[in-house]
Amino acid sequence: MRKILALLLTLLLTASVFTFATAEAASLTPAELTIMFHGSNVTDDSAVLAKVNEYLKDKINASLKVIWGTWGDFDETSTMSLNAGDPIDMYFTCSWSQDEYNAYAKKGMWVRLDDPDNNLIEKYAADLWATLPQVLTDGAKIQGSDGLGVYAVPGYKDIATQNCWDINVDLLTKYGYTLDDIRNADYYSFGDILKTVKAGEGDSFYPLLVEGMVLERMATNSIIVAGDSGSTNLLSYYMNPTDISAEGPYGNVMLNKFATDEYKKFVEKTREYYLAGYIDPGLAVADTANDLRKNKQLTGQYLIGTQSYSLGYELQASQERNIHVEMVPCTPAYVDTTSSQGAMVAISTASANPERAMMFLNLLNTDPYLMMLLNYGVEGIHYTLNADGLVQFTDKRADYQPWTNGMGNVTLLTPTADQGKDFWDTFKAYYGAAKKIPIIGFTFDASNVQVEQSALVNVAAEYALALDTGAVDPAEKLPEFLQKLSDAGMQTYVDEANAQLTAFLAAQ
Amino acid sequence: MLPTPSVTRRPNLRLNAVSAPTETVFHAVLLLFSLFCVVPFLFVVIISFTSEESIRQIGYSFVPQSWSTQAYAYVFRIGDALWRSYFNSFFITAVGTALSVLMTLLYAYPLFRRDFRQRHFFNFLSFFTMIFGGGLVPTYIICKNVLGLSENYAALIVPMLFSPFNVIIMRTFLQTSVPTELIEAATIDGSGEYHTLFRIVLPVVKPGVATVALLNALAYWNEWFLALLYIRQNTDLIPLQYLLMKMQRNADFIAKNSHLLGAEAANVAVNLPSQSLKMALVVLIVVPIACAYPFFQRFVVAGLTIGSVKG
Repeated sequence: MRKILALLLTLLLTASVFTFATAEAASLTPAELTIMFHGSNVTDDSAVLAKVNEYLKDKINASLKVIWGTWGDFDETSTMSLNAGDPIDMYFTCSWSQDEYNAYAKKGMWVRLDDPDNNLIEKYAADLWATLPQVLTDGAKIQGSDGLGVYAVPGYKDIATQNCWDINVDLLTKYGYTLDDIRNADYYSFGDILKTVKAGEGDSFYPLLVEGMVLERMATNSIIVAGDSGSTNLLSYYMNPTDISAEGPYGNVMLNKFATDEYKKFVEKTREYYLAGYIDPGLAVADTANDLRKNKQLTGQYLIGTQSYSLGYELQASQERNIHVEMVPCTPAYVDTTSSQGAMVAISTASANPERAMMFLNLLNTDPYLMMLLNYGVEGIHYTLNADGLVQFTDKRADYQPWTNGMGNVTLLTPTADQGKDFWDTFKAYYGAAKKIPIIGFTFDASNVQVEQSALVNVAAEYALALDTGAVDPAEKLPEFLQKLSDAGMQTYVDEANAQLTAFLAAQ
Repeated sequence: MLPTPSVTRRPNLRLNAVSAPTETVFHAVLLLFSLFCVVPFLFVVIISFTSEESIRQIGYSFVPQSWSTQAYAYVFRIGDALWRSYFNSFFITAVGTALSVLMTLLYAYPLFRRDFRQRHFFNFLSFFTMIFGGGLVPTYIICKNVLGLSENYAALIVPMLFSPFNVIIMRTFLQTSVPTELIEAATIDGSGEYHTLFRIVLPVVKPGVATVALLNALAYWNEWFLALLYIRQNTDLIPLQYLLMKMQRNADFIAKNSHLLGAEAANVAVNLPSQSLKMALVVLIVVPIACAYPFFQRFVVAGLTIGSVKG
C-alpha cells in the first residue's frame, strides 16, 4: 500500500512539473522546423542553436534546424531540394537567386501567406507585417499559383539602390581637385580630371576603375530589369534621373540594351577613355576583372571607381583601403523590384507545419533577442557589448558568420561599434526616403523565350564587357554585335518583355 | 674496350632501334610533353608560396617579388576541419575503391563467362545506363528518400559504386587474358565458382583490377558533387575536394554577381581565400594522389602489354 502511494505521489509530482513547464506553449504540439539560408560562412553553430532552441521551445514549442547555404552552392542545392520536395520548411528566396521568388511562386513551391481562406499573416504575423515599410509589403505582392498575393516575408534591409562614383579623395586633392569637381561633372565630362591624374601618376596607373556593367547603368541611367539574364543583362529600362517616380525618356518600355543612342554614346566615350589609358585592359577579362578590381581598390590604385552603394560603405571602404574614400551619387536612391525583392524568406509547400513556420518568421522579424542570436551569435562567445552597448565581435565570430541581410529585419540588431549608435536611425531615414520607380514589382518571366535568352547571353558574353570597358572599337564591333543579337532573336525577347510589361501595368 | 658479348648483342639492339636523329626528335617531343604536364603543377606550387602582396603587384609569376608561407600557415589554422576532410577523403577513397572494384569484378566476370545465358541481357542493362540517365532530380530523390543516402558516408560512396564503363574494361580484360580452358581446367579439378574467380582468375587479371582500381580511386578522390548534394548539415563528412570547391564556387559566384550584390560583395570578399591559399589547397589535394600513381603504374604498364604477347 505504501509503495503504491509513493508511486502515485511521484506520478503526481512529475505530472505537475510537466504541466507547469509547458504551460506557455501548451496548446502547441512540438514541431521541428528547418530553414535554408543563403551566403553563410558558418562552421560551428552548436552554441547558437542550443540557445535558439531553448528560446523557441518556450515561445512556440518548436526546434530549429538550419541548412547554411553558401554563395557557391545555394542555387544548386535549394532548387534540387525544392524540386525533390525535401522536408525543408523555409527557404531564402529573392529576385536574383536560382529559386527565384516569382518563378517558384508560379510553380506552386511557396505557400501563399495572405490566402483569404487561411491568412497566415493575419493569424500569426500581424506584428511583423506592421513593422515593414509599405514599399516592401507592396513589392512582395505577385502573381503566383494561388492568385495575386504575398508568397514570402521580405527582409527589411538596404532596400534601395544608388549607384555612386567611388572617389579616392587622397589622390583627388593631391591634384588640386575637390569633391565638388566630381559632383558637378558627369561621366562624359571626367576627361580633364582623368587626364591630369594620368599624366601625374604615370603610364602604369589607370584612374578609372570600373565594373563594366555597373558603369553602363550609371552612364545611361538604366536599371537592372528583374528576371533578365543575371550574368549579362540584355534589357534596359531607362529611368528619370531627376524625378525617380516619373517616367524616363522612353516611357515605360523595355529596350534592347545595346541598340539605343545612349548606349552608343556611352561605348564611344568609354573607348576614348580606354585608348587614353584611363581604363585597365584587365577589367575587360570577365574571369579576373573582379580580383583585379579588388586588388586595385585595396592598394588605392585608382581615382574614380563605380560602386552600387549601401549606407555607410564609404567608412568601411576607407578603413579597408587605408585611404579617404567618398561616394558621389550618380542618381538619387531608388527602389526597384530587384532591391525590394532582394532578400526574402518563403515557406515551402512541402512544409508539414506552415503555421509554425509563420510564427517563427514573425518572431525572427520582430524579436531582437532571436534576431541577434541567429545573426550575431551568443553574447560573450561571438560578440561582446562595449561600454556604449555596441557590438564588438570576438575571434569566435569567424566560425559563425551568417549573411546578415539574407535573414530578415536587420534593424532589430544592436549596431556594431563600427556602425555607431545612431546607425539604424540614419538607415531608416535614408532608405525610407528612397522613391519607387514606376514599374516597381515587375519581373520579367523569360520562360517563354528561354531558347532565345541562352543564345543571346552567349553572344552578349562575347561583346558586352569588352564594349563596356572600351577594350574593342565600337565603330567596328557594335554593328557586328547588334547583327548577331538580332540573328539570335533579340527582337522576340524584347517584344516578349514589353508584352509582359504592358499586361503588368494594365493590371495595376 | 667493350666486352665481346655486347658485340654479339648488337644486331638485336639494331632490330628495334631507330636512327639517332629520329630518337632525338622523339625524346624532344616526349620531353616537351612531360614539361607540359609538370610545369603547370610547379607553377601552382610556386604561387602557393608567393606572398599576396606580390600577386597583387605583378600577378602570377614564376619569379615572385617575395615569398611567403602565409597560405600554408592559414591552411593549418583551418585545423580540425582540414584534417577531418583529409581523413574523409582517404576513407571514402579507400572504402569506395575496394567496394567498387569488387562490384565491377563480380558483375564483369559472369558477363565474360560464355556459359552464362543471360549475359547479353545484363550486358545491355549496364550499357544502357551509359547512354540514358534518369536525370539529376530523380536520382536525387531515389538516393535520398528511397535509399536514405543523406548526411552519411554511404551517400558519398554508394552512388559511385557501379560504373558501366569500368565493367566493360574489366570484361574486355577478362576476355583477352583469361582463356576459357583455364576455367574448364579448374572446374575439372573440382574448384567451386568463387574459388575459381578469386584464386585462379583474379591473379591472372591483377593488372586489369589495378587499372579499374586506379580509375575508381581517382574518381572517388576527385568527387565533390555528391557532397554538395547529400551533405548539408553534417559538415564533419565533407571531403577535401569539396572544401576547396566550396571556396572556388563562392569566389566564382561573387565574380559573376558582384554587379548585383553591390557593396555586399565587398563584405563577402573578406571571407574568400586569397589566391595563394587556393593554390596551397590544390597542392594538398594533388600530392597524395600523385604519390599513389607510381604504385599503380607498374600494373597499368603490365596491363598495356600483357595482351599483345600472346602467340
